[in-house]
Parts: sequence; C-alpha cells; structure tokens
Amino acid sequence: MAINASQAMAATLTGATARMETPVAPRFKAGDRVRMRNLNPPSHTRLPRYIKGKVGVIERDHGVFVYPDTHAAHQGEKPQHVYVVRFASTELWGPQGSANDELLVDVWDDYMDAAP
Amino acid sequence: MNGVHDLGGMHGLGPIVIEKDEPVFHHEWERRVFGMFLPVFATGAFNIDEFRHAIERMGPEYLQTSYYEHWLAAFETLLEEKGMISAEEFSARRARIAEEAR
Amino acid sequence: MSANHNRPLSEVEIRVKALESLLVEKGLVDPAAVDALIDNYEHKVGPRNGARVVARAWVDPAYRERLLADGTRAIAELGYSGIQGEDMVVVANTPDTHNVIVCTLCSCYPWPTLGLPPVWFKSAPYRSRVVSDPRGVLKEFGLAVPAEKRVRVWDSTAELRYMVLPERPPGTEALSEDELAALVTRDSMIGVAEVKGVTA
Repeated sequence: MAINASQAMAATLTGATARMETPVAPRFKAGDRVRMRNLNPPSHTRLPRYIKGKVGVIERDHGVFVYPDTHAAHQGEKPQHVYVVRFASTELWGPQGSANDELLVDVWDDYMDAAP
Repeated sequence: MNGVHDLGGMHGLGPIVIEKDEPVFHHEWERRVFGMFLPVFATGAFNIDEFRHAIERMGPEYLQTSYYEHWLAAFETLLEEKGMISAEEFSARRARIAEEAR
Repeated sequence: MSANHNRPLSEVEIRVKALESLLVEKGLVDPAAVDALIDNYEHKVGPRNGARVVARAWVDPAYRERLLADGTRAIAELGYSGIQGEDMVVVANTPDTHNVIVCTLCSCYPWPTLGLPPVWFKSAPYRSRVVSDPRGVLKEFGLAVPAEKRVRVWDSTAELRYMVLPERPPGTEALSEDELAALVTRDSMIGVAEVKGVTA
C-alpha cells in the first residue's frame, strides 16, 4: 500500500539508519595500522579503488552497521564495525600527493587486514 | 564493482562547474523523480544498497547523464527486475504519453 | 511549474511521467506524498539548518563539545534529524586543519542540515579531484589553504553523513547567534569555503 503524505513526512524525520544494535566485536581500534584488502567483486561494494592495498591508521570506530556488499545481494546484513581510516596523501598518490594532507575514508571491518 | 562511478583520483573529467544561486531542481521531472524516492523505497521493493548498485550498473552512460537521471535509471531497472513493472508496461505507457503530448 | 505543453516532451520527461503514472496506477505511490516531499526539500529543508548548528557551536562551548562527540544527538537538540542524516559526524576546522567533504562513490550528503546537494558536489570533476588535489580544488573555489595547514578530505563511503564546523571569523564577537548563523554559508559546511566576517 502506498504511503500517504503524512506518512512520507514522518518517514523523513525518522529516517532509516543503517546502524545496528547487534553486539559485534570490533577487529580494530583507534591507532591500529591497517591495509585495505584488494577486493574486486563484480557486485556492490563501497571499497573505493583508490585505497585498495593501501595502508592507513584507524582514526575512529563509528560502531556497527549493515554491510552493503551482502545487503545489496540479499545475502544478509552481516553487521560489523565501520571505522574512519586515515591515509597520508602520499600513501595514496605517491609523489603527486601532498606531505601535509590526509584522506579519511569510512571502511568496513571486512575490507581490511592488520598491517603490523 | 569496479564501475565507472568509482571516481576518486581519476583525471580528465573536466572543470568543476559552479552555477551561482543554483535552484534545488532544474526541471519539473527532477522534482518528480526526487519525490518518488521515499515512496518507492517504502514499498520495500529494494534496499538502498541495491539502488546504488543499479546506478553503478549503468556503465559509461553514467558519465553522460545527470544525477536524477541516475535515480530514474535505477528505479526503472529495479522495478523491472523485481517484476513490479514489466518492460512492456513501460514501453506501452511511454508510447501513450508521447502520443498524447503530440 | 508544469511543462510547457506547446513543445514536445523530452525522452526523460516521458520516462518520468510513465514511471509515476504506472506506480500510481498500481497503488504503489501516492502522488500527494510525492508532492509533500518535493515541497519539503525544495522549500523547507536547507543549509539554514546547518548554519544554526554552527552558530550554536560558536557561542556555546559545551554544545560544541557535544556536537563534535556525537553529531547526531547534538544536531537533533536543535530539531534536525532524519533521512540522510541518521548518523552525523561533524568535523571542526581549526587554525592547523582545514576539512572538506566528498562522496567519491555517489553523492552522499547530510540532508537534514544542508538540504539537497548542489550539482557540482554530485558531479565527476569534484568527486574525482578533491581527493587527489584538494588544494587545487579549493583554490578554484577561491580558498587558498596555507602550506603549513593540514587539509583533511573526508570521503563519505558509508552511511555516516559529514559536515564541517567552520571557524568563527574574527571581529564577530558582538554578533548575536542569529546574526552569526546568517554568515554561515553552505559551502563553508562542505568545506570549500571559509566563513567571512562582517566588513566594517
């Protein structure tokens, strides 16, 4: 049944968070060095090409969210932590990067490995 | 997917074009596409991740079309894939509308 | 308001009309809901919301702290919440750091505080270049960031939505909260501009 105008307006205020209450242990914590996995699925992912295989540092843990890679394929929500990963500009862009600058990208647990 | 939408770091995509005091919508059809977003999601036909993936599946056309054209393409693709509107229904309705507008 | 019926409809217009009429006929979409949503985001929700958040943070240090610790909750204190802003992160510009926001993969943007994004934010040139040449991009927007200052580019790849808390310009000590809010531009909350003070 179609939502009516007042239901639509109510929905704009409640929104549809992807955050999940499921308690899931984080694999990483702020300060950990991490390397992005070289994943190249033909299906949906939110791991951008420009950070694949690169090394960064966990800046912050946002908490537990739906995992889009499985969710888009109707394979479940697979709740897991999403972190801000901080990359040096030169790590991503080599000599064309800027010494002072940083990229901060939101990354799911399943996109990374520890980089001791 | 390693799609054309994955733009971070690419070169050669042209200058940043800024329209001063840009309106929220440039065309009436953009308004309708935007306004359909939430009601269509509310039907439960697909989730936001499927929606984004449908846009990513546009291929090179993605770079030649505007933002709300991306949404339109995703709605059409997904509603057809989910069996909610058939290709025949789309083409028949478009033909009728085009005829009536003549 | 409605299309000029004296010219033929474009292909896109035909597709949109076809889509909406089929959805309505099948009882899947109520056009009144579509109308209400258009009106809300065209006329009611916009960067004036975010400007109020910024002005509050400027005048109230405890609010600023809450805003930076839990953006969603602090923004909701001022009455802004909901779709495409369910999980908010606010990042503060400081004398040593300038922040700028992008969504390289699509066009994620914090609707409750900033409204709908401008075309340039959603387009390929900005999305591709701001991550690899933020200083060059900022210069195109008229903002030169000193070499000693650090630029941080935040790519909203997940469902967190980001906005920048710009620095309060000097010489604004005497302004009221409303007057401060009036200075805050959308571009300063994306991070492609700074807030300009009042010239004497």
